[in-house]
Amino acid sequence: MRIAVGIKWVPNTQAVRFDPETGTLIRKGIPSIVNPHDLPAIEMALRLRDAVGGEVIAFTMAPPPAVKGLELALGMGVDRAILITDRVFAGADTLATSYVLANAISKVEREYGKVDLVVFGQETIDSSTAHIPGQVASWLDWPYVYYVKDIQVLGDGRIRVVRELEDYIEEYEIELPAVLGIAVRALKPRPVSLYNKLRAKLNKDTIVVWGNSELKLDPRCVGLKGSPTIVAKTIDMPEVPRKKEVYKPRDPRDAARWIVSKIVEDEKLRELLVKKLWGG
Amino acid sequence: MNVTSKFDIIVVGAGPAGCASAYLLAKAGFKVLVLERGRGAGSKELWGGKAYAQPLREVWPELDKEAPIHRWVSKERFSLVWGERALTIEYKLGRKVAFTTYLTELVNWMARKAENAGAIIVDEVRVDEIVVKEGRVLGVKSGGDTVYADAVIDAEGVNRLLLEKLGLVEKLNPDHIALGVKEVLSLNPNLIEERFMLGKDEGLAWFVTGDVTLGLPGGGFIYTMRDSISIGLVLPIGPAAKAAEAGLLKEHVSSLVEAFRLHPYFRNLWREADVIEYGGRMTIEAGLKLMPRKLYMNGLLVVGDAAGFLVNTGYTIRGVDTAVTSGKLAAEALIEAFNNGGPTEENLKSYEEKVKKSYIYRELKNHSSIGDVMSDPFFFQKLPQVAIRAASKLFEADYEEPKLIRSFLDAAREEDVSSLKIIYKLGRVVGKL
Repeated sequence: MRIAVGIKWVPNTQAVRFDPETGTLIRKGIPSIVNPHDLPAIEMALRLRDAVGGEVIAFTMAPPPAVKGLELALGMGVDRAILITDRVFAGADTLATSYVLANAISKVEREYGKVDLVVFGQETIDSSTAHIPGQVASWLDWPYVYYVKDIQVLGDGRIRVVRELEDYIEEYEIELPAVLGIAVRALKPRPVSLYNKLRAKLNKDTIVVWGNSELKLDPRCVGLKGSPTIVAKTIDMPEVPRKKEVYKPRDPRDAARWIVSKIVEDEKLRELLVKKLWGG
Repeated sequence: MNVTSKFDIIVVGAGPAGCASAYLLAKAGFKVLVLERGRGAGSKELWGGKAYAQPLREVWPELDKEAPIHRWVSKERFSLVWGERALTIEYKLGRKVAFTTYLTELVNWMARKAENAGAIIVDEVRVDEIVVKEGRVLGVKSGGDTVYADAVIDAEGVNRLLLEKLGLVEKLNPDHIALGVKEVLSLNPNLIEERFMLGKDEGLAWFVTGDVTLGLPGGGFIYTMRDSISIGLVLPIGPAAKAAEAGLLKEHVSSLVEAFRLHPYFRNLWREADVIEYGGRMTIEAGLKLMPRKLYMNGLLVVGDAAGFLVNTGYTIRGVDTAVTSGKLAAEALIEAFNNGGPTEENLKSYEEKVKKSYIYRELKNHSSIGDVMSDPFFFQKLPQVAIRAASKLFEADYEEPKLIRSFLDAAREEDVSSLKIIYKLGRVVGKL
């Protein structure tokens, strides 16, 4: 089984601070990390490979420093990694990004052989659109299932996919190739191991870099030029000062009553809640 | 290459000492693996800002041309500060002795040299244990993986978790270590040169003592980089912790650094500068006391901060050049050992002998009594106050200016210190500085 896993190199949003004067995010000097929600996807791909054999290929579209993210994936045990990087790919929205990624999958098939499965994390911590897996599936015209918790390989070119939603569980049988979005926290990712890091370091071909001279895509369809998305308006959410009160009743119904009375009594909190729920 | 294949040498830690060893050994044709915990070599480094060039040139003769040197130190300043008053001495150097740079940049350069010479550097992995069997070091363990080598160089730095596990060193004693906290202030190079009266590529190193540490042992530093200024404080942990317990030190150390940045005597030097970075690091206060019982064992050598090789003279702290030199001596000892049948305990003994004959050990011994000064609050409280008061009598006389000796005696009396005690303490300390 050949499994491709898409990862994103994102600023560690937990380390991002607010500029108190302008109220905007200070991104400068913030260390980047592999999108945490991608780690269960890497783990899922590795478990499938370990169970049925084959190889796992990690891929990302990002500026060159993202190679550190691919090194992390290799350290977890991914077999090879592809860095898709080119100035013409910069400034892409999800449409232009998914277009490049889908074409990269096609190139993977030409270079290394048929891809059976493409997995992604559910969403990214820096933009949270969750567009990419579905869009890549559309470009490739492959089936797509998201919120995936578990995968079983059935052996006849089909897989059974378990999808866990809030109050029910769905199972699908789908034909390969397919694209899957792996649920946040579906699996605990394995740690990076010294052997895997060393293997990647000693083998020069484990990381390949593809630019547009390799992918040969129409420059009008990639990067900023290929991106129809515009940000119409951004609204900063005012920071709500938190008040800490602890109430520990024996009966949870008392706790519910207590919370409701708090909200009803506090005029400011009441207004804020109405605003959040009904927008005005 | 199989990953389980053996290396000749594993270096733990890609700092100045580890990189120097790795570079020289790889250049001599050995199979060297360097393991680093941070992301990229040097990413965990933090210092004030000045390195002495000559010991580094002995490893990399191309240093002046190739290394990321920001400014050559052309001026050394010393200031005694109390309240709004300050007394400053400046020395203009006559040749290129030391340079300022970001240590991360410098170590990154050293690591690239090692890699180009053939060393393999793997970052973002933590070494959990040095593997020993029957008194012989076999390699290192990280998680469930063991990598084998004929010899291991421990360059793990000041926090010596591996050596502690091996039983070669005790747990760190707060009286032997200090905390350094610094800020990097970004400023246009022209403004730096104007305000510090420097030529192009010329730099300044400035040591500050007095109430910038609230009278606690330690001091402040200022270094000019290419387009930024590094400022910060170093506080020995023992006395600072005691002062905090006694309620004398109430603020977080970062607010002391902030007060230093906003100090009226200094703040105009970095007017309009932005704080672009801040950080802290544990450093060595009493190097000789941190030295492991043995610098070697069968298949192991200890270099750099892990070996306590940081010289504190009271007015300068030298750790990078001593680290590099120890890395060089370790590489030399290992090469000789390999030529004589292998890195056995007997063959590696020469490393300790080399260290003891080198300037590192002589300097450590020579300045070891500085600890008595650093632990005596007199030098950080009463003495600076007497000195500043005496200076104020000389320079702030509306009508009559006292003689030098009179200003000193009056100042001592007003500060309620016996002048004999001052002379006695100074007499003792002069021999130690």
